[in-house]
Amino acid sequence: MSAIAEEIRQAYAAVGITLDQPAAFGTYYRLLCAGCGRMLGQVGDKLLPGMAAEIVGQQRDLYAAGLLGCSCGHQKRLGETPA
Amino acid sequence: MSEMDAITEAEERGRTGLWPFWRKAYATGDPLPAFPAPASRGYRFDEGDPLPEEYKSLLLRMLRHEGERAGNKSFLGLMATCLDLAEALFPDRETKLIKAEYLAEELKHAIMFHRLAVGLERDFALRDVPYAHYSFHLPRESWADDAYFHFFVDLNGAFHSRDWRESSYVPLAKMAATVERDELGHSEMGYYFLERICSEPRGRELAQRLLAKWYAAALDMFGRSDSPNVPKFIGWGLKTIGNAEIRDLYKGYVDAKIVALGLDLPDARQNRKFL
Repeated sequence: MSAIAEEIRQAYAAVGITLDQPAAFGTYYRLLCAGCGRMLGQVGDKLLPGMAAEIVGQQRDLYAAGLLGCSCGHQKRLGETPA
Repeated sequence: MSEMDAITEAEERGRTGLWPFWRKAYATGDPLPAFPAPASRGYRFDEGDPLPEEYKSLLLRMLRHEGERAGNKSFLGLMATCLDLAEALFPDRETKLIKAEYLAEELKHAIMFHRLAVGLERDFALRDVPYAHYSFHLPRESWADDAYFHFFVDLNGAFHSRDWRESSYVPLAKMAATVERDELGHSEMGYYFLERICSEPRGRELAQRLLAKWYAAALDMFGRSDSPNVPKFIGWGLKTIGNAEIRDLYKGYVDAKIVALGLDLPDARQNRKFL
């Protein structure tokens, strides 16, 4: 796994989302719900350093509000749990 | 019937009240802003002409960035993500079918650029070139993310294609109007999705929040304003307009559309990586 992909994996793990294996010729990865395994989205591995954490950090309240994340509520529940 | 006639006939059978989105956009005139008149041209090269080394290098560089080639595995991978997202995130059959029409049209471009690549340098036709710009790699975790991707990123393609109408490379100039029209239509598809998303409060709230991420990436896509390569591209007739100028035209276009959605415009310098 590339350094950027590892950054992406860590950033999403913090909000209950798993980075899947590379899906398309090593460039794009599926984002899966860590609670139920449902496909939640896609991300590519040419983000700039630090960008994944920045984006996920800015979206944290969207997961908590249920505007992003899985319909099973896994990310929402994590967002509601006090750190 | 020629190869392209068969494709055209297939496209016409796919027309609906909505698709292709370019039809409505061009019905009332040219939807894109006027570009400055190009300086008179000293160069014109057709397929098979010997190309100056720097010219060929710049042209290949431009085509690597464009990426829509049948022989480019990474482009096909990007298309696969579009199918994945439509299947998982799109709300109904109508929007999924629209996305399938989009895929078909992008694959038409892949054939067109494949032919161009074969005529330019056969080895290039099969070269895998992952999209280098981060905007092609931003996470898409909602229908709204995907709508922004098309509204902004496909529109970037329409603006560049408009510039290619004046290209000194004849095969590119010949296909530019079709690619411009289609890419503008893809952007309008994204915009149609955004109109639907913004029609209810939670969708609008999400769209407003996600806008900052996509707006900065969209403006960054035109590259650095002081790029040292731009004068070379312009000098060889491969571009007519600098990065800052085309970005300004693009910004004017998207700003008006965003305001029409009822969304607040982000600060144009916020989150920017390439000024």
